[in-house]
Amino acid sequence: MTARTASSFFVTIILAVLVTVAYGWIAGILTWWVVLLIAASLVAALYLLPHRLRREMGRQTLIATPYFWLFLLFLVPFGIVLKISLSDIALAIPPYTPTLKDGFWTMLAGLDLENYAFIGAGAVFAAFVGLVALIGMFRVVYPRARRAMMGDARSGLFDSAAGALTALAVAVVNVALLVAVLSFLFPALAGFVDIPDFLYFAAYLSSLKIAVISTFLTLLIGYPIAYAMARSAEHWRPTLLMLVILPFWTSFLIRVYAWIGILSKEGYLNQMLMSAGIIGEPLTILNTNIAVYIGIVYTYLPFMVLPIYAALEKMDDSLIEAAEDLGCSALSAFWLVTAPLSKPGIIAGCFLVFIPVLGEFVIPSLLGGSNTVMIGKVLWEEFFNNRDWPVASAVAVILLLILIIPIVLFQRNQQEADQ
Amino acid sequence: MKNIQLMSGIATLALVAGSAMAEEVRVYNWSDYIDEELLTQFEEETGIDLIYDVFDSNELLETKMLSGSSGYDVVVPSATFLQRQISAGAFQPLDLDQLPNHGNLWGAVQERTDQYDPDGAYSVNYMWGTTGIGFNIGQVTEILGEDAPFDSWDLVFDPANMEKLAECGVYFLDAPTEMIPAALNYIGEDPDSHDPDVIAKAEDVFAAVRPYIQKFHSSEYINALANGDICVAVGWSGDVFLAQLRAAEAENGHEIDYAIPSQGAQMWFDQMAIPADAPNPDAAHAFINFMLDAENSAAATNYVWYASGNEAAQEFIDQEILDYPAVYPDAATLENLFTTTPYDARVQRVVTRLWTTIKSGQ
Amino acid sequence: MAQPRPDTVFAPWDEPDAKPLIQFKNVTKRFGDFTAIDDLTLDIYAQEFFALLGPSGCGKTTLMRMLGGFETPTEGTILLDGVDIGPIPPNERPVNMMFQSYALFPHLTVWDNIAFGLKRSDMPKDQIGDRVEKMLKLTQLGKFAKRKPHQISGGQRQRVALARSLAKAPKLLLLDEPLGALDKKLRNETQFELMDIQETTGTTFVIVTHDQEEAMTVASRVAVMTEGKLAQVATPDQIYEAPNSTYVADFIGDVNLIEGTVEVQAKGAKPTDVSIKWSPTETPIDATSDTPPPAASTVTFAIRPEKVAISNERPEAANVMEGKILDIAYLGNISTYHVEVAPGLIIKAQATNNRRISRRNLTWEDHVYLSWTDTAGVVLTE
Repeated sequence: MTARTASSFFVTIILAVLVTVAYGWIAGILTWWVVLLIAASLVAALYLLPHRLRREMGRQTLIATPYFWLFLLFLVPFGIVLKISLSDIALAIPPYTPTLKDGFWTMLAGLDLENYAFIGAGAVFAAFVGLVALIGMFRVVYPRARRAMMGDARSGLFDSAAGALTALAVAVVNVALLVAVLSFLFPALAGFVDIPDFLYFAAYLSSLKIAVISTFLTLLIGYPIAYAMARSAEHWRPTLLMLVILPFWTSFLIRVYAWIGILSKEGYLNQMLMSAGIIGEPLTILNTNIAVYIGIVYTYLPFMVLPIYAALEKMDDSLIEAAEDLGCSALSAFWLVTAPLSKPGIIAGCFLVFIPVLGEFVIPSLLGGSNTVMIGKVLWEEFFNNRDWPVASAVAVILLLILIIPIVLFQRNQQEADQ
Repeated sequence: MKNIQLMSGIATLALVAGSAMAEEVRVYNWSDYIDEELLTQFEEETGIDLIYDVFDSNELLETKMLSGSSGYDVVVPSATFLQRQISAGAFQPLDLDQLPNHGNLWGAVQERTDQYDPDGAYSVNYMWGTTGIGFNIGQVTEILGEDAPFDSWDLVFDPANMEKLAECGVYFLDAPTEMIPAALNYIGEDPDSHDPDVIAKAEDVFAAVRPYIQKFHSSEYINALANGDICVAVGWSGDVFLAQLRAAEAENGHEIDYAIPSQGAQMWFDQMAIPADAPNPDAAHAFINFMLDAENSAAATNYVWYASGNEAAQEFIDQEILDYPAVYPDAATLENLFTTTPYDARVQRVVTRLWTTIKSGQ
Repeated sequence: MAQPRPDTVFAPWDEPDAKPLIQFKNVTKRFGDFTAIDDLTLDIYAQEFFALLGPSGCGKTTLMRMLGGFETPTEGTILLDGVDIGPIPPNERPVNMMFQSYALFPHLTVWDNIAFGLKRSDMPKDQIGDRVEKMLKLTQLGKFAKRKPHQISGGQRQRVALARSLAKAPKLLLLDEPLGALDKKLRNETQFELMDIQETTGTTFVIVTHDQEEAMTVASRVAVMTEGKLAQVATPDQIYEAPNSTYVADFIGDVNLIEGTVEVQAKGAKPTDVSIKWSPTETPIDATSDTPPPAASTVTFAIRPEKVAISNERPEAANVMEGKILDIAYLGNISTYHVEVAPGLIIKAQATNNRRISRRNLTWEDHVYLSWTDTAGVVLTE
């Protein structure tokens, strides 16, 4: 056995022991002094190993650490959620069946996709595949096809095939989208795509709608702020930056609660507007979608402002002068130069807002009314109100699947910006 | 309540840090459901550290119970939920030897709770009440006139009334097991029906008034009523009285009252029980026994204005409360009150799904 | 200097009838309390290659930015072709500017950068392509049309910036330190390229630079600026040979400055002769001046080191000084000798190294003679 394999072996064992002990401690099986004892003996055992082996282990542990965290903090919880999503609801502790208590193989045999069918995952999945196909078409197939059709010298067999493929992809995607849109517009059609319960699909779409609109609103408000910051005198910028970040110093929950006080019928906003004589009757803002948009825009504004500011701040002022010098008015200089150059910041900001808002739960549940349907809230209700862990888990798994698209796109944007 | 949570948080930290093995009891009760002075009194009398957390929905409590290892020694679910949780094996039987005050319980209430927990083997009643309508007298009168149907479900289930009331704001409880029986009772069906087809009829009742309901929530209506943000809420009796008290304390001119609708209302029972995996069952028994004490129980009722399941306590309860039919209903009203039994998993799903449909319009 | 001369001498500033392209009339520019341009009047003629030269902060960039339209004069007027351009915004002026940082649009290709201004003009689309191709050819950038600015070298970027600013065929091209970012060798090559392009296109160029050599090389006329004022505006040779002040003399090239007082003219002297007493004991310096200053006035005698001869033996000349070599700066083609001719007065003399090093007979501590003719230097009163 070489030092390398030996050290991999030991590192694995140590990590396994650590995970087990951590679990034992959290679950209350092991008391703190037992944990301490095990840790101490682990350290002692390490010192008994030969120096070279120890060094090799140190190196491997270093490399393994990020993977270990990924495993511990993402894959393990995801695995558990995935397993629960394949289980059935039960009136027991824990409230689903089968569990490991039934034996490993019995448990595996008892898993099924029933919950996914229940929430209409098929439709969500179809939409997902449609979207991926659409993106793939525009980013990969379409450019090749265009090159093939334009008769570029490099066009070969593959490119001509891509041309045909594009036509096919367009047809497939169009049909898929048509079905999805139609079945959304006419719930009666839902039967065709086999959606037993339209709630979940609608909740995903509603979340998507709220996320898109609030991302747009955040951009609309955030861009001028970032622009003003980047154009302000240099000695002011650190202060302005601090002011944007300042709200993070207080609890997010407290800030959202503050909005309840502002937006409620007897709240400050209504009092102010009424005493100013702008309105005669108090406005109902709290518990509506408007309140949700206000809350989301307010909360996520810094995530939009900061990347755009970073992009604008490093922009050379003389570019604007050059544009004006070459015949642009101030406005067209903005559209032709400033806007394209802040594009990476805009994209980063949009994703930083869009991704968390899609799964947002706290803001709609505190500020939104009952007709604010968001997937995060459905997830909460499925879990706490219906106490249906398996269905809640299935909803969560699908949510993750949907989030993968913007996350991957975001990653690509970041990589392109780095180049 | 925030202060208590904070204090309990600090207490938890202190415990973890000090790891002193002092006896402690962790209680999980409804929010706004106790006179906080009783908590200090318990600690002084017994020397047991009390950690008091609150929840505002049975569903939340059940999630914790069914996850196991909640860490609580005493929890207070409603009877219908208690029954489900007993069958899931979530509770341990009570040791009556450790509950010398058990005899104080009120037979009339026990009779009714026995259908959920036969012979009271797992639980004792903490308080009971009705699910009725809380309202802002001034605002509702202004909108619907002097002859507003305060003592009828018409107030909230008749779209004609609701359309007008929407202007000043209406909240419904976010609790399908309370709201659906009330709607079934309103249209003359058996409120305790377990037949999905019958249950489905409730949807029409809600659909008609859904556009006028501002929010479904099980605790926010207390402050919303007190502040005048809303004028009507379907809610639990004692919670509405709490709103009444807060409005009076704030002297904001809002006069809040509660009524048990004449068509009848659901009678519910909150039961103290000990989780099967409670870390400290002895301390749990000590707490339950403390709360069964006639004077202590009366103090709680005097504070929260819910009827006590403790007969001996009536001696110490304010006469004002005992005479208030909205809290201690007269015989005729009592006749109209109904109870419900828990749904099985299949019906439960129908009910909760129906509720989501009602709430979201989806 | 390497000033290419057309067949007929190009000197519109000497013709009384010539109409200037640009006229600064008593222009003042203040930023708060700071006066960047102070009551300045200047004419620039069509097809000139005009250099604004001066140390940083002298106002030369402000002057240029006022031509571009990025600053407006606080007082006075600027006329372009007789039209007051004060109220005209930058995008409507027939003027283009090449920025010091080049300001190439990083998100556009070389081709699109050059076409940027054309697309904003009313030029028909089909002509834009031709024009861009022409510009690419002029600046030899054909191969790089599809590249983005960060994919080409500094010199190529400079040419893109030039092509972009020339594409709209402006009446006037402004160049702000156009070669500042290039290394010396590339700078020298590019200077000649710039001159070629200026001649080919016939555009009027105004260049801002702090590099006197660059200004002398490329410009038809040089304006030396200091503290918001023009010190001297003249052709490079005039600036060099006949500076009008010690400031200009000192700023341009290497110079020996000797202070003294004008002596009463000896009998029989020409009216242009000036004799300068610079030391109580030494012989006065004989010089000439077209406008001799009155006797007893304080003047500065300026003479370029290359006009001072150095030898071991006393030569016959109008002015001869004795001294000791303190220092020798060997520059390859020439050597500069620092000679102390009187306590505290060091005069620099340059000699061409037309012999191999071993054959040179001047070395440190040597006793030498410096000499120059009476017309070699200038007498400055400012």
